[in-house]
Amino acid sequence: MSEVLTRDETGSAPRPARRRTIRLPGARTAIGAAGAVLLLALPFYVDRFWLEAGLFAMAAAIGAIGLNLLTGATGQLSMGHAFFLAVGAYGYCVFAADGGDGLTGLGLPTWLAAVLAVAVSGIAGGLFSPIAGRLRGAYLGIATLALIFIGQHVLFNARDLTGGFNGRDVPPLSLFGLTFDDRELLVAAVPFGSAEKLWYVGLLLLLGCGLFARGVLRGRPGRAMNAIRDHRIAAGVIGVPVARYRAAVFVLSSMYAGLAGVLLALVFQRTVPDYFGITLSLDYLAMIVIGGLGSVAGAVVGAVFVSLLPQLLTRYSDTLPLVSDPGMGGIAPGEAARYLYGAAVVAVVLFLPGGLVRVAARLRVKPRPGATPGEER
Amino acid sequence: MEEHDRVTTEATGRQAAAHATAQEAAAQATAQAAVPSGIPSLDVRDVTVRFAGLTALDAVSFTVRPGTVHALIGPNGAGKSTCFNVLSGVCRPAAGSVRLGKHELTGLPPHRIAGLGVARIFQNLALPPHATVEDCLLLGRHRLTRAGFLAAGLRLPSAAREDRRHRERVREIAAFVGLERQLDRPAGSLPYGQQKLAELARALCMEPRILLLDEPVAGMTAAERRRTAAVVAGVRDSLGISIVLVEHDMGVVMRLADAVTVLDFGRRIADGAPADVQNDPAVVRAYLGERADPEETAS
Repeated sequence: MSEVLTRDETGSAPRPARRRTIRLPGARTAIGAAGAVLLLALPFYVDRFWLEAGLFAMAAAIGAIGLNLLTGATGQLSMGHAFFLAVGAYGYCVFAADGGDGLTGLGLPTWLAAVLAVAVSGIAGGLFSPIAGRLRGAYLGIATLALIFIGQHVLFNARDLTGGFNGRDVPPLSLFGLTFDDRELLVAAVPFGSAEKLWYVGLLLLLGCGLFARGVLRGRPGRAMNAIRDHRIAAGVIGVPVARYRAAVFVLSSMYAGLAGVLLALVFQRTVPDYFGITLSLDYLAMIVIGGLGSVAGAVVGAVFVSLLPQLLTRYSDTLPLVSDPGMGGIAPGEAARYLYGAAVVAVVLFLPGGLVRVAARLRVKPRPGATPGEER
Repeated sequence: MEEHDRVTTEATGRQAAAHATAQEAAAQATAQAAVPSGIPSLDVRDVTVRFAGLTALDAVSFTVRPGTVHALIGPNGAGKSTCFNVLSGVCRPAAGSVRLGKHELTGLPPHRIAGLGVARIFQNLALPPHATVEDCLLLGRHRLTRAGFLAAGLRLPSAAREDRRHRERVREIAAFVGLERQLDRPAGSLPYGQQKLAELARALCMEPRILLLDEPVAGMTAAERRRTAAVVAGVRDSLGISIVLVEHDMGVVMRLADAVTVLDFGRRIADGAPADVQNDPAVVRAYLGERADPEETAS
């Protein structure tokens, strides 16, 4: 009893800590606002290469957020993320194309096609959910490998839907009479092509997806998901329907992947089956491990890291030692990027459990111990 | 005491908030009418559990009367934890039945049993280390809250309102066990005894009708033991719920228990009031070995 009482007295330290957290958001919102202005202004200043790289990173970030909900927050490994990306990308093509190129196309309005593509990814995830609900952790990872193989087989052979080996063209998105294609549109004397226009769509989607995932993670479902990851048996005993939650998270994560697939297709303007292989799934796993498991920020940071690295290396291959253009005998930029983030995964696992976002968190927390000595007294 | 009374009345009001299936609704309705007097009794009848040839529980029967503390004791490996696993649905018995009022618990998945108002704390801590104590306790509110993926993701006003209401309740329960100062600390950073208390608080957050405590004071300091024992006694007296207690600390058992069941090698070897059980020759033999003189060892 006396121990409880003494703790009560020393525990009055939270007050200074609270004042500190009020001041912090001020600095944080300032940084956030500066970042937002920068992101909004980028299309006016940087060229197409950087915009496409950025869009690619945004699409990857959406997909990585989805995978982080499943693998990071719920502890369910998935190797099949690329499959759901493919469902989204090809689903969009099928719904939106008008059938002019001889492939199946329903000719729906493109925004509806995008929504339906995400829904179809969710349904695909739902079809797999009886398995996703029953298997845990690594076992689910092995089961989802099957999705990759089935997906690759279908992509190469269902020619009417996917165009086979050569893939198919992606119809440009059009919203409120604005078409996101390469017809140039002058905004403040800057020519806006597809990349510039899509940039804002990408930003908006990423923001929406990020906020939604954050709400889920911080709310009741997030607590249940973390409980399933940390103490599966206890989670059930506390009243969390474990199988139902696992299945639901799997569906949600598939929908995120589907949306990422749609955005990727719009950026690339062509989908090819080779892209949606097992390496893509591994890339996504690398993203969330490098960035930080279980958080939205981690997924975004990891996605930016993993998807920009090869682009940067390609861009600067002539100035970097050891890296040369593809086919020139040295290490190709793509390969070099793989080595680098392979090393990054190992380094993060060894030295930074919690990922790159932990570094930021640690820097932010650092002033604390000195400021509240009373707490530990 | 005032605190305790409020806990009780709040419990009745809050329970109206939640429920999906008709069965749960019915269970809840009885709970509402009944707190604190209508806690159902827990009947364990001839429960047998086998693990690949080893009989962990052999036709064990006992009844937990409403509103009492029922202790389950026995030497290591006697089957106490297995018994808890059966009661909470983690483990399915090969034979026998467990009834809570008119509900048969065997065969129900753990979350449905939790939905009927059975809460449990684990022998080894099952708290997420990085989550704050408040989040841990809110997890206990899972069965009483509704917000799903859509409501939480879109931050619907209904979810925000629910969240606020339940955080308030969590604060009350934390105060009840003496953890209100620790609410915003990561659970893993608390000393062991407080982590055990946090787990007890999380179980209380489920507004249980039956509380299963698996070694609640193991590994605690003397002060923490007293504190926990006082909380457990307070729970029984003020909430009127039944408690099943597995504990090695005989002092705590004898102080708290209204009835004691003794297991040894999966068999029930004694059952009755604490004083009677303490003097039972079979119990003494199980604890101390063969041919001991009951008169000497009982004290």
